[in-house]
Amino acid sequence: MADPDAGARPADDRALGRPAVESSSTDGGTARGPGRVLVAIYGVFAVAAGARAAVQLALQFDEAPLAYLLSALAAVVYLVATVGLACGGRGGRRTATVACAVELVGVLTVGTLSLADPAAFPDSTVWSGYGSGYGFIPLVLPVLGLLWLRHQADVAAEVAAEQAGTAQKSPPPPESPPPKSPPSAE
Amino acid sequence: MTTPLVLVATVLAVAVALLGALSTLLRRRIGQAHLVGAAALELVLVVQAVVAGVALAGGHRPVETTTFLAYLGTVVLLPVGGVLWARSEPTRWAGTVLGVAAVAVAVMLWRLLQLWQVTRG
Repeated sequence: MADPDAGARPADDRALGRPAVESSSTDGGTARGPGRVLVAIYGVFAVAAGARAAVQLALQFDEAPLAYLLSALAAVVYLVATVGLACGGRGGRRTATVACAVELVGVLTVGTLSLADPAAFPDSTVWSGYGSGYGFIPLVLPVLGLLWLRHQADVAAEVAAEQAGTAQKSPPPPESPPPKSPPSAE
Repeated sequence: MTTPLVLVATVLAVAVALLGALSTLLRRRIGQAHLVGAAALELVLVVQAVVAGVALAGGHRPVETTTFLAYLGTVVLLPVGGVLWARSEPTRWAGTVLGVAAVAVAVMLWRLLQLWQVTRG
C-alpha cells in the first residue's frame, strides 16, 4: 500500500522514518523484508571470512593448511549463500538452500572436531568451537537461513497456485513463468 | 588508529544500531536520525583512516599490514553500503539492515585496533 499520511506528522516521520510498508506475504523475494537482514549478515561474513582466508592462504599457508582451507571453504559457502539469497527465484532458493545445508553440516562437524582434537586446529577457523569466536552467529545463521528459505518456498507455491487459478483473467507474471499445469510441489 | 577515536566511533555505531532496532520495533523505515548518525559515524571512520594512513606513511608497520588495510577499507565502506541498502528497503526491516552494518563496524574497529597495536619490533 502507498503511504497514506505523508506529511501528517512530518517532524516525527522525518526523524525516525516514514511508516513502513507491511511485508505482506505475497510481495515475496528472498531479499525483501527480514530476508534483507539475512543477506546483509551473510554478506558481512562472506567479506570477513574471504579477506581473512585470502591473507592466510597467501602469506602463511604452511602454518595450518587444514584450518586455512576450511576458512576458505567457509568463505565460499557464505558467498554462495549471499548470492543465492540476494537473487531469489527458484534457482536462487535452491542454491542458497544447498549453501545453508553445507554451512550447517560444516559448523557442526568442524565445531565437534575442534573440541575433540584441538591439536588438529592450531589456528582457529570461522567454524571452530561452533563459531564461538564469532558470537555463535555461524551456528545460528544457517538455521535462520533454512527457515526463511522454507517460508519463501511456501509463499512461492501459494502465489503460483493463485496464479494458476486466475491465469485466464489477469496475466502479469511476477516471479516465475506461470506454469501451464499446477506446480509439482504441492 | 587511536583508542579515543575507536571509542567515539563505537559509541556512534552502537547508537546507529539501536536507532535501527527502534525503527524496526516501531514498524518504520529509516529516517533522518539514522542518516545523521550514519554520517557522523562515517566522518569519524574517515578521520581515523586518514590518521592511520599518515602513521603508516610515517613508518608504523602492523605485523599483519595486509589484513589491516583490507579491514580499514571495508570498515569505511560499511556504513555507506548499509545506508544505501536500507534506504531501498520499504519494510520495517530497513533499520535492522543498517544495524547489522553498524554492529559489523563496531566489531571490526576493535579488531583493527588489535592489529594496529601488534608491531614488529
